[in-house]
Amino acid sequence: MSLIEIENLSVTYHVGGHDVRAVEGVSLSVAARESYGLVGESGSGKSTILRAICGLAPVSGGTIRIGGEPVGAHRSKAFAARVQMVFQDPYASIHPRHTLDRTLSEPLAIHRLGDTDARVVRALTDVGLPPAFRFRYPHQLSGGQRQRVAIARALMLEPEILLLDEPTSALDASVQAETLNLLNRLREERGLTFLMVSHDLAVIDHMCDRVLVMQHGHAAEELTREALAGAQMQTDYARTLFNASADRMLEA
Amino acid sequence: MMGQMMTWLRDPNPASRMQARLGQYYLGWLRLRRNPLAVVGLTIVLALLAMAALAPVLATHDPFAQDLGRRLLPPLTPGNWLGTDDFGRDIWTRIVFGARITLYIVALVAITAPVLGLLVGTVAGYFGGVVDLILMRITDIFLAFPRLILALALVSVLGPGIENAVLAIALTAWPPYARVARAETLTVRGADYIAAVRLQGAGSGRIILGHVIPMCLPSVIIRVTLDMAGVILIAAGLGFLGLGVQPPLPEWGLMISSGRKFLFEQWWVATIPGLAIFIVSLGFNLLGDGLRDVLDPRSSGK
Repeated sequence: MSLIEIENLSVTYHVGGHDVRAVEGVSLSVAARESYGLVGESGSGKSTILRAICGLAPVSGGTIRIGGEPVGAHRSKAFAARVQMVFQDPYASIHPRHTLDRTLSEPLAIHRLGDTDARVVRALTDVGLPPAFRFRYPHQLSGGQRQRVAIARALMLEPEILLLDEPTSALDASVQAETLNLLNRLREERGLTFLMVSHDLAVIDHMCDRVLVMQHGHAAEELTREALAGAQMQTDYARTLFNASADRMLEA
Repeated sequence: MMGQMMTWLRDPNPASRMQARLGQYYLGWLRLRRNPLAVVGLTIVLALLAMAALAPVLATHDPFAQDLGRRLLPPLTPGNWLGTDDFGRDIWTRIVFGARITLYIVALVAITAPVLGLLVGTVAGYFGGVVDLILMRITDIFLAFPRLILALALVSVLGPGIENAVLAIALTAWPPYARVARAETLTVRGADYIAAVRLQGAGSGRIILGHVIPMCLPSVIIRVTLDMAGVILIAAGLGFLGLGVQPPLPEWGLMISSGRKFLFEQWWVATIPGLAIFIVSLGFNLLGDGLRDVLDPRSSGK
């Protein structure tokens, strides 16, 4: 049985009397400990799928099941302990007026988990930040450091599933690689399942076992890593995307 | 010692929550110090605080002691350097004790009105929809009345007195805070860091109190300091009309009112409390302007 199962998912936003269909009839399933990529250009609906899983986007049809249980309209605390998300922009996803200590201990307080001090310090070291950073404010950190904090926060509740919404696209190239390696290491250590969105096939190739290519809210084609490496795409769109980032994939 | 203190405050790796917070306050103070007008404002407000705290020491007379033989003496008379009023009471003494009343009113209004406004505004902004509609229409109704008139109506229903004056002012002062807080909440509620804490399973109460309000607080605090001048003026206005503080208490508005009768012959009786109101209002306004630079989250990057 797959850990994440999405069947026929549709997401429709109502904007000024119009219906905008961000996602239409997309199905996918991700096995436990798998790393699954969603790729496509801007507006293809890939981030919307992650947001729909978290209850941040209006689902208009289809079902989402986590570990066999369908998720309802309301996300419970138990859901929060299983599924966490890392957002795209580390400058917008961390509360600017809270110290890192507060940011990292908030999930513990919500779930009434004790041992806050030790857990916060461990979370910082796990993502490669010195414990001395604990009482800093986010504006005292660089973008890459902030994204590490966001990853640490997502892992505070020890979830099984990590949703990654272009976690490196706001970072510069050298920091990107570091962050991706950190994510890969954490996935191995903790047996995490990744559902990762990117517009960059090179990132997906580095991170994911399988990838779903999306276009205009529809699923275009699913590829395994081998198919991706061997450039065995069936659709023209996937091939165009591949050609756009092929040179960087060869470097890596 | 001082140097040690500075390095401790500026430590980029604070060792405790308290050190981190004090460090932020220190940086805020450095930013405030760069604005000379704000420092003037702060000095005036601190002087008002000192004056209220040390009133018995600073006063030269008893604020209620009448001396009809020495009534309406001009300023710079030996023994009464700001002159005396129509009952022969020392004006300087009454100004000094009046600072206590002014501060009492300002403090009570500053505690009640912004808190109410913040709660109404953040709840309306965060939940949106029907909640927003109902709360904001109530706010609109309060905003539609002229403040002084509404305060007058409330005081005449509740009866004159300092507590009722404070209540009336607070009840008329909260709607602008609710508006400011709602506007700020609307910009914040869609932010990723709010989505992140919601994803962690936080309830609405925790999100509003712990995550939304800290973002609204700076603009509300700035608004409060800028409004303090208005609060002092309304309190003085109520006193002037005989609906606020009652004689013989030395409230500044009341003092102006009693000096009105001799405005042309003995100008100082009304002018000196007027100057006191002017200086304190100016102090709060300058401070508010300076706080805008200090508390604006966009300028806190250093």
